[in-house]
Amino acid sequence: MASLVPLKEKKLMEVKLGELPSWILMRDFTPKGIAGAFQRGYDRYYNKYINVRKGSISGVNMILAAYVLFSYCISYKELRSEEA
Amino acid sequence: MLSRVVFAAAATAAPCLKNAAVLGPGVLQATRAFHTGQPCLTPVPPLPEYGGKVRLGLIPEEFFQYLYPKTGVTGPYMLGTGLSLYCLSKEIYVITPETFSTIAVVGLMVYVIKKYGASIGEFIDKLNEQKIAQLEEVKQASIKQIQDAIDGEKAQQALVQKRHYLFDVQRNNIAMALEVTYRERLHRVYKEVKNRLDYHISMQDMIRRKEQEHMIDWVEKQVVQSISAQQEKETITKCIQDLKLLAKKAQAQPVM
Repeated sequence: MASLVPLKEKKLMEVKLGELPSWILMRDFTPKGIAGAFQRGYDRYYNKYINVRKGSISGVNMILAAYVLFSYCISYKELRSEEA
Repeated sequence: MLSRVVFAAAATAAPCLKNAAVLGPGVLQATRAFHTGQPCLTPVPPLPEYGGKVRLGLIPEEFFQYLYPKTGVTGPYMLGTGLSLYCLSKEIYVITPETFSTIAVVGLMVYVIKKYGASIGEFIDKLNEQKIAQLEEVKQASIKQIQDAIDGEKAQQALVQKRHYLFDVQRNNIAMALEVTYRERLHRVYKEVKNRLDYHISMQDMIRRKEQEHMIDWVEKQVVQSISAQQEKETITKCIQDLKLLAKKAQAQPVM
């Protein structure tokens, strides 16, 4: 049993499908935990695509594309009712 | 409508956002929790040269690598085509007049980026290099300053080791002064003693001289007293006879 890594410390890709609900419930849902998760995501993206010597436009482009998609999703209902 | 605004904003902001914020808050620092544990002393890793690879400017390379074993090279493209056709046919994506303006703006942006992207990138890279060089300079100057301070401290410490020369010189001076006074006083003692001895000697000489003179006088007086009157007459006549003889002899000789 000592060789198995405890469930809490596994990364998402290593969690098996059956363990997924318990893994999600084990995450830290305090405000501090959520803020930490956002900060970690921000830092990961930032360090990979923007904080380099020769960055390219794709670093910003992906963020803009994601924003476009998100805003389309928000206004989907309005577009459907407008078209009909 | 929102998408057009976003794209227009991106068109104007793209050049300066391209390589912006190289030195932003993502720089790793040695974490230190108020001196409670050991500070993390791993050296800060250098800035990576290129960012993560992205295809079509939108989709990270990792997605293509993830699908490669199952579907080969064309898999993700087929997936993209299939998904977009599905969205169009099922009207998940509604074609509005905005669609055409979107297509026009996207086409224009792609053209501009393909044509001028490299040169703008180089220009901004140069700016970045300047910034980095400036900071490097500051770091080197600080390091040099601290090194000079360390060397100064070491020199001071070395001086402390040589303090004993100062004290040796002072000690030598004092010893010489003592010696000099000692010899001076010795000389004075010698002179005084000699003075007194000379006095005694000269006194003895004087006494002996006085005794001699006194004795001589006394002997003369005795002799003179002892010569009586008759002896004196006899002596005088004998002397006159001797003189006459001598005179005759003296006269006789030059004639011959």
